[in-house]
Amino acid sequence: MVSTILFSAFAVLAVAGAAGLVLLRHPMNGAMSFIMTLIALAGLFALLSAKLIFAIQLIVYAGAIMSLILFIIMFLNIGEKDLPDESNRWFYFGGGAVVIAPLAIFLLKVVNKLPSCEATIVGDSFGSVKGVGMVLFTEWLLPFEIVSILLLVALVGAVVLAGKREGKL
Amino acid sequence: MSALDILLVILRIAFGAFVPLSFVAVLVWMERRGAGYFQDRSGPNRCNVLGFRAGGLIQNIADAVKLIFKEDIVPGHIKHKLYFILAPTLVFITAILSFAMVPFADTLVLNGKEYIMQAIPADLGILWFLAVVGFGVYGIILAGWSSHNKYGVLGGLRAAAQVISYEIPMGLALVSLLTIYSTVNLSEMARFQGQLLFGFIPMWGVFLQPLGVIIFIVAAFAETNRTPFDLAEGESEIVAGFHVEYSSMKFALFFMGEYVAMFVSSALIVTLYFGSYQIPWFSTETLVNHSKPVVFLLMLAMPVAAYFFNIWMKKNNRSQYERPNDPRVFEAQVYAAVIWSIVIFIEIIFLGFLIFSSGAGGARILVALLQIACFLFKTFLMCFVYIWVRWTLPRFRYDQLQRLGWQRLLPLALLNIFITSAVVVSLA
Repeated sequence: MVSTILFSAFAVLAVAGAAGLVLLRHPMNGAMSFIMTLIALAGLFALLSAKLIFAIQLIVYAGAIMSLILFIIMFLNIGEKDLPDESNRWFYFGGGAVVIAPLAIFLLKVVNKLPSCEATIVGDSFGSVKGVGMVLFTEWLLPFEIVSILLLVALVGAVVLAGKREGKL
Repeated sequence: MSALDILLVILRIAFGAFVPLSFVAVLVWMERRGAGYFQDRSGPNRCNVLGFRAGGLIQNIADAVKLIFKEDIVPGHIKHKLYFILAPTLVFITAILSFAMVPFADTLVLNGKEYIMQAIPADLGILWFLAVVGFGVYGIILAGWSSHNKYGVLGGLRAAAQVISYEIPMGLALVSLLTIYSTVNLSEMARFQGQLLFGFIPMWGVFLQPLGVIIFIVAAFAETNRTPFDLAEGESEIVAGFHVEYSSMKFALFFMGEYVAMFVSSALIVTLYFGSYQIPWFSTETLVNHSKPVVFLLMLAMPVAAYFFNIWMKKNNRSQYERPNDPRVFEAQVYAAVIWSIVIFIEIIFLGFLIFSSGAGGARILVALLQIACFLFKTFLMCFVYIWVRWTLPRFRYDQLQRLGWQRLLPLALLNIFITSAVVVSLA
């Protein structure tokens, strides 16, 4: 019962935040509504007892990445007058809705056809830091390492690019 | 849920919410008296209620009254009033929430049920702290941005850049610590630190991670925007930084949020590196099994401590010049009476414990109280270090601050990870 109420609340918040991101004109409003979406998604992860993903969603997405975006918005101090003219954007929204509507109806039908099943609480180690770590470092070690190398390449690239510009100045 | 369950839930949440708040008063008092001590003066000691000054604590009441009754201004030029009001609440709420997963006593076992002594008994531990502290930055960014003021924006930019860059050495210092403890759960970390190294040194993080503790403490200072890293406020350059446009209780929320953050990061430093609630050389089980001798020793020690404290107080709490019927001597006498009655009250409780206690329940509650006292005492000392540093070191320049973070602490933290992993792997 409580989890159903929480799920509905988080779902409404997530959708409202996503709509706000698209509809609101001021970049700060957009960023703040996106933060709302990310926090609501973290709440949904927590409802699925995926504790580690909950924490990572809050630390990485809602915490680090969005605070960088907010930082840039503040740094550039973008106001309403700096934004491009978007007077015909409602026309685009309408067109987008018409294009997406069949897909949405199809998805709704698919979801309604799913067999209903009772939600049960899985074992204590599911989704915890230890549980995810064990699975990650035994069964999924190779994909994990490949993704780490990808991130390392990006990090080295960022340092090299930042260093180059400093050298020229 | 039995009545005991509900009572313990309420108690733990009350501890998690009200202890940081009470520490705000203690820290403000300690900051002022500490500043006075380091600058060879008395600090505020004149505010009184009927002649009772409580060592300067009454000054806090005067401050609170001032802040509450000031006019609450939202300046006319502010366009985004929602963000302007949201900012101080965010700073304050995140500061209090980040304390929620810090354990303040060993797991309490009553009637065969285990109660984890954290405000929120989940096992996310340090990840929760990192997640919630990340949201505190939003408060500062929003305050600086919505103030629509050059000083405000500069302060917000500085604070955000500083917090984001010092999160990296802090996280890396934590990585090497997690390698040793092999858990993120703060309660398990605290239990790990109850062991002994070579049989006689408490296995505290500070002995296992001497380099990590320095990196973590420096980063924690920067995270809480305290001197020598308080460029975000930088009174001499940018007036007050991100809270320059705030008044009354909105300012007070920033102010309290800063002190709560200071308390929480002290509590976290104590939890990670200084043995948490563990009383050195006395594990929980030892204390529970020998509860009666412990109580007997406490009954002997308390009057002695009270006696010496009273002598010290009577020597110092008097006027510095000749006064007929010195009111401060009377004040000290009243304090002495209060202290002695508290001592007698606790002695009676202890005596009752010695005579009537049977079974482990009472002993476990007693040990939990002792551990809470130990935890708060350690945190108090760590808070004193914050104040000590604030009144000893000058403020960094901004480029020095970033260079320290990226060029000194980051490589040191990486080196620490390599050394720690090598040692852990070779010992395993």
